[in-house]
Amino acid sequence: MSDEQKREIEELLLEMETGQLQGKRAERLKSILKNSPAAREDFIQWQLMNAALKLEAEIYPQVDTPALAANPVPAAPTLPRRKDPRIEGIGPVWGTVATLVFLVAAASLFAIQFSGKKEASQLVEKEASSPNPPVSPGRPEKTAEGVALVTRMVDVLWSDPASPLEIGDAIKPGTLAMDQGLVQIEFFCGATLVVEGPAELKIETASLARVRRGRLRATVPPVARGFTLDVDGIRVVDLGTEFGLAVEPGKTDVQVFDGEVEIHSGRQPVRKLPAGQAISRTERGIESAEYSPDRFVTMSELEAKRADQISTRMRNWREWANQLREDPRVLAFYSFDQAGPWGRTLRNSATRPLFDPSGAIVGARRVSGRWTGKGGLEFKHPGDRVRLNIPGEFQSLTFAAWVRIDSLDRLYNSLFLTDHYDQGEPHWQILDSGRLFFSVRWRSDDWKRGQTGQGRAHHPVVSPPFWKPSMSGKWLQIVTTFDAGSGTVTHYLNGRPIHSEKIPEQLMVTTTRIGEATIGNWSIPTRPDEKFAIRNLNGTIDELLILTQAISADEVALMYRKGKP
Amino acid sequence: MENEDAEKTETFVQRLTENQNRIFAYVFSLLGDHARASDVVQETNLVLWRKIGDYDAQRPFLPWALAFARHQVLSNLRNRQRDRFVLDGELVELLSQEAEKQASQFESWRQALKLCLNRLSASSRRLIEKRYFAAQSISEVAADMGKSAGSMKVALLRIRHQLGECIRRSTHGETS
Repeated sequence: MSDEQKREIEELLLEMETGQLQGKRAERLKSILKNSPAAREDFIQWQLMNAALKLEAEIYPQVDTPALAANPVPAAPTLPRRKDPRIEGIGPVWGTVATLVFLVAAASLFAIQFSGKKEASQLVEKEASSPNPPVSPGRPEKTAEGVALVTRMVDVLWSDPASPLEIGDAIKPGTLAMDQGLVQIEFFCGATLVVEGPAELKIETASLARVRRGRLRATVPPVARGFTLDVDGIRVVDLGTEFGLAVEPGKTDVQVFDGEVEIHSGRQPVRKLPAGQAISRTERGIESAEYSPDRFVTMSELEAKRADQISTRMRNWREWANQLREDPRVLAFYSFDQAGPWGRTLRNSATRPLFDPSGAIVGARRVSGRWTGKGGLEFKHPGDRVRLNIPGEFQSLTFAAWVRIDSLDRLYNSLFLTDHYDQGEPHWQILDSGRLFFSVRWRSDDWKRGQTGQGRAHHPVVSPPFWKPSMSGKWLQIVTTFDAGSGTVTHYLNGRPIHSEKIPEQLMVTTTRIGEATIGNWSIPTRPDEKFAIRNLNGTIDELLILTQAISADEVALMYRKGKP
Repeated sequence: MENEDAEKTETFVQRLTENQNRIFAYVFSLLGDHARASDVVQETNLVLWRKIGDYDAQRPFLPWALAFARHQVLSNLRNRQRDRFVLDGELVELLSQEAEKQASQFESWRQALKLCLNRLSASSRRLIEKRYFAAQSISEVAADMGKSAGSMKVALLRIRHQLGECIRRSTHGETS
């Protein structure tokens, strides 16, 4: 390439850079690039220098120009920016890195949802850029998808067992199919459906659903007026009322219990149906039908059934708990279910306890547990805790708890922590990132000699993040097993394994100890890193079980089924 | 099983993070617009994340990632309003090989650039800072420095030459 050509290319590139390259000049650059590999090399080099200079601009000491003074280069990762003409030239590429981090976090959530096969049933939080101005840079507001909530359920058998909905779950637009049972769905518009299976609905929006099959009762308060159910060609538009709808192949019944509904059917005039009337649509068309409101389950009937189910569940759990008490593997069993006033001691429910059985409750309040009539212990304040002393030496251990987490406020949120964390002592907690954390101290008290250069003291086994804000207030079964033979730690959530890992041999401990320990907090104010000493859980525990064996995945699943509220 | 997956994910995230600047350099060199390049890098990250299952940790990450980046660049160009100079699909195909080659050297290139910026004369460096760090237009820089726009352009090209030479020397060794 001649010097003259080189100069020409450079001039063209400078014009391109300043946004002035148009028309014939633009065509000229393109034709040079198409014909000359050397020109292409120059072109890429030019562009790379610009890219490098832009990256440099982000970390360079600021220069005293008006443009920069008005738009200081962010020191920390920020949200990806929309185009701002003033800063376009120096906009930070950090945005991409920050986004990547969110992306990875979101993707891990998905990963765990898939592994738990529950993705369809859960609220899906996604990181969304908040509308301006951002509340705090780099921390986008969380949003959740869903148009309705499951509020009551009795004996439901979902058609797709891979995505079971549970009480409190949000329903996203999509198909909802059940083979049997009763479910109450509250749409965000305010309408409530009690659906009796077998049924199949397609939820479209917060105020529209298509019914393919099933019997249901809709209660529509005035605020939700306009709530619409669509059945193969006819639309039932609610004018603020209560009505029943039964859909079976070839036949659709509509009954109005209260108020009035509109029936829209193709090109036929809109038909208004007042309270106490019923219609039936078959292939012969729409005709009046017998009024029989008893066919449709009401909310209060559902509530009564649900109450029945709850007391059955609780009874079953108590039977199981009574058996468990006799189990020789039980080291400690706090079922929070003792009759009468607890005072400030928490009894170990194991029949043959291996140690002084009582825990001392400090601060934490007695509240209702998984079921009304069963107790739980609420941890709220930084001081709330239960103190225990479990002497002896063990090998494998299982920790199992039913926990209702309100939020993860601390860097470490304690489930069960030994005080001193000396050799062989376990720590079981949840990180603020929603990861379940279990470790057994390998090295003895080296912190007294200062921690720098001491090497690793333990190998924490940390699960992927399992926590989502939509889980707040729901009862979760959390289990971790430690097999001292193989050094394997397995974490479980709601009866399913979420992570398993082998502790490296050089950090493995075969003899475990507990000694003085704390439920729901950490009791070691003497340690130099006191700033981590506030580890109180924000939530409620209503069962805590420690076994001297690493139980199998099947047994964890059984425990989940027995204890599920 | 889950352990293996977690490890794979970790490796993947690490490589993706390490290569962010190279991917950015590649995309930027083909698009030449910072905001647009950032968008495309993010889209590329998303695509890569979805393709994590196809990723083979034994193979080099960057060429694999850049193949998807090129695809994103092309689709961005198709949707793009022709308000300023853009490459067409044919040129992107032609240039992408060169871009991939140079982007893979981008980090050492950047290191060299840092050194070379320090070797510039105070006035040259000032010009670079105003134009590229503060994103001033050439006429603004000219007005600031009391020169004509024409002489600014000449000066800018001269300094870029100097930088380019300096970078070449420090990345290939002084003698070559």
